[in-house]
Amino acid sequence: MTAVTATEVSDEERGNSQMRPAGGGRFRPSPIGWLARAVIWAGVAYLVLVVPLGQSPTDVQQFTRGVCYAVVALSLNVMLGYVGQISLGHQAFVGVGAFTSAYMVTTQGQSFWMAVFVAAAVGGAQALVLGAVSLRIRGLYFALITLSYGLVAQDNIFEIQELTGGGAGQQAPKPQWFETEWRYYYLCLAFLAIVLYVDWRMMRTKSGRALLALRENPRVASTFGINVRLATLFAFVVSGVFAGLAGALIAHNDTQVSVDVWNFNLALVFVIMTVVGGLRSRWGLVIGGAFFALLPYLIEKIPGFDELLADIPWVPRVLTPEIAPLVIGPLLLLINLIQFPGGIGQQLRPITRWLGGHRFDIHDKGPKEVQITDVRA
Amino acid sequence: MLDVLRARADWIVGLALAVALAVLLIATGEEKALVIGTTTGSAYGMVALGLVLVYKSSGVFNFAQGEFGTVALYALYMLDFEVNYWLALLGAVVVAAMMGFLTERIVVRPLFEAPRVILLVATAGVALLAIGVQIWFGDAQGKPIAKGFDRVDRVKVFGVQVPDQQLWLIAMLAVLAIVLGLFFTRTNLGLAIVGASQEPTATELVGISVRRLSSFVWVVAAVLGAFAALIAVPNGGSFAPGIMTTSFLIPAFTAAVLGGMTSLPGAFLGGVLIGIVQSVATTAPLFEDIPGTKETLVVFVVLLVVLVIRPQGLLGKGSA
Repeated sequence: MTAVTATEVSDEERGNSQMRPAGGGRFRPSPIGWLARAVIWAGVAYLVLVVPLGQSPTDVQQFTRGVCYAVVALSLNVMLGYVGQISLGHQAFVGVGAFTSAYMVTTQGQSFWMAVFVAAAVGGAQALVLGAVSLRIRGLYFALITLSYGLVAQDNIFEIQELTGGGAGQQAPKPQWFETEWRYYYLCLAFLAIVLYVDWRMMRTKSGRALLALRENPRVASTFGINVRLATLFAFVVSGVFAGLAGALIAHNDTQVSVDVWNFNLALVFVIMTVVGGLRSRWGLVIGGAFFALLPYLIEKIPGFDELLADIPWVPRVLTPEIAPLVIGPLLLLINLIQFPGGIGQQLRPITRWLGGHRFDIHDKGPKEVQITDVRA
Repeated sequence: MLDVLRARADWIVGLALAVALAVLLIATGEEKALVIGTTTGSAYGMVALGLVLVYKSSGVFNFAQGEFGTVALYALYMLDFEVNYWLALLGAVVVAAMMGFLTERIVVRPLFEAPRVILLVATAGVALLAIGVQIWFGDAQGKPIAKGFDRVDRVKVFGVQVPDQQLWLIAMLAVLAIVLGLFFTRTNLGLAIVGASQEPTATELVGISVRRLSSFVWVVAAVLGAFAALIAVPNGGSFAPGIMTTSFLIPAFTAAVLGGMTSLPGAFLGGVLIGIVQSVATTAPLFEDIPGTKETLVVFVVLLVVLVIRPQGLLGKGSA
């Protein structure tokens, strides 16, 4: 698989080099090209950094949730995209992170920073234990284990009164200096930037490349001296830490964590947004996560959406924002799996490559291996 | 004689295990758990039969199996206002069968060549879509559901009353297991399905369309899921969106894994075994301090232990 992919990529490169102007060298955009790219970059930055300033606090809270979901998508991507193990119980990791952070701040009187650190550590420890126990279990069976674990979290872990505050939920105030929705939004953006950076650097290190080799073929990887168990556990811990961090951020964004949101449906929404976003495509994952978190918000903002639904016979009620992800999400997933297996990331690749200073090539779908079809069964 | 024994080995081992367990439980004074466990376990076994069928024919872990049942429950709930109960029940089964057929046509068939994990994600997507539509068209509240048989005091086993509805479930399961067993060993269609699951290429070569068999199997699996839901859930009196996925799917998967994932009698016995283990363990002093419902935890522990220690299941052959 690896060898084939490599040849294909190099063929593509060769094709590109033939198209390049004589004089060779790396493609450099013209000054106008640079300007166009700078304008788009500025537009994206404006959308992410400046637009929220003019919105109401409740809207900004939704945007912050989008940022947190992007972290969740990146966390799930480490398991699904890098290791090739599917987690259907990720709501447990995120939920335990949320409750841990809320518990540390409210009951233990610790600072926000300490709480986030502990939540991330607990997330990592959880993933380490589950990973260590189920090292022998792969593919379909691992999906079963994680789904079952998610249900255990829902039925047992979240029933621990001291941790979750029972039916009333646990309070999670916003940290000092970041009390307003806007400031907290920028704080979460900073955390997302850190997660993106760690993810990017991790895949450039030896252990990151070991992971990719391992996903392709664990036996070949181990003959190259990769410690399969260690590399897998490492990825699990990274994924767990990201998930715990995301949970803590979500908790302090909502300022209250209640038990009933961390259910099986949420775990499936997490998987769906990761797959729809596109495995191993950071921008796709961020967009996928943010899109699913903002779906309720978008539906509210689209004018005439309710009337449109009301006109369809057989549909008895309007599609409320809470239900929308459960109905639209799976539909997108199925379209995605059947038609565009690379997800949003693959569809956007020509644009992201162009923004990165490369030539615009509408047919550039990245290396062939960027498909969700390589998760091991 | 020995050949016959060998051919029926999984049945014989399974029955021996079941009898040994029953004797053990009666000897230790846990006969109540035996009765309760068998009745709840029968429903797991029926869902597990559907899972095993789909796994045998397309190699897919069908996460939508539970939702076939919940959709049937909704159909029964709606139809029960309009027509006679038994007619409504029939209608509900037909609705589930249609859902199974459509799932195979729209989702499974286009992904025929895709890896199995992708199909797993796709079927999980179907399950979530079904739950979403249920909440959308109805609401998240529990709804009352009618029973076929209302009398509860006809039969008493070891001092535990077994409602007629439960007896019906057990009888139905036994009949289905036998019919399916005969179907897969005696009929052309059944043998073709077994062949397709073992060696798809060779099956195609002898002129059998593997894809056409697949839709038939999905319909049968959906009907099994529907029966399990329609007969077992009314014992609790009400149902809510996604009930079959959250409270039946994982025990059923555990039952199927316990039975080796490809064995029909194994799935049946696995279901009963999970039911009994659940009902023994929830009353055990070991689990007293654990908050929340213990059934989920018990299933998780059983699943983990089976997968780590004996991944091929109790009756399975070869590696899982």
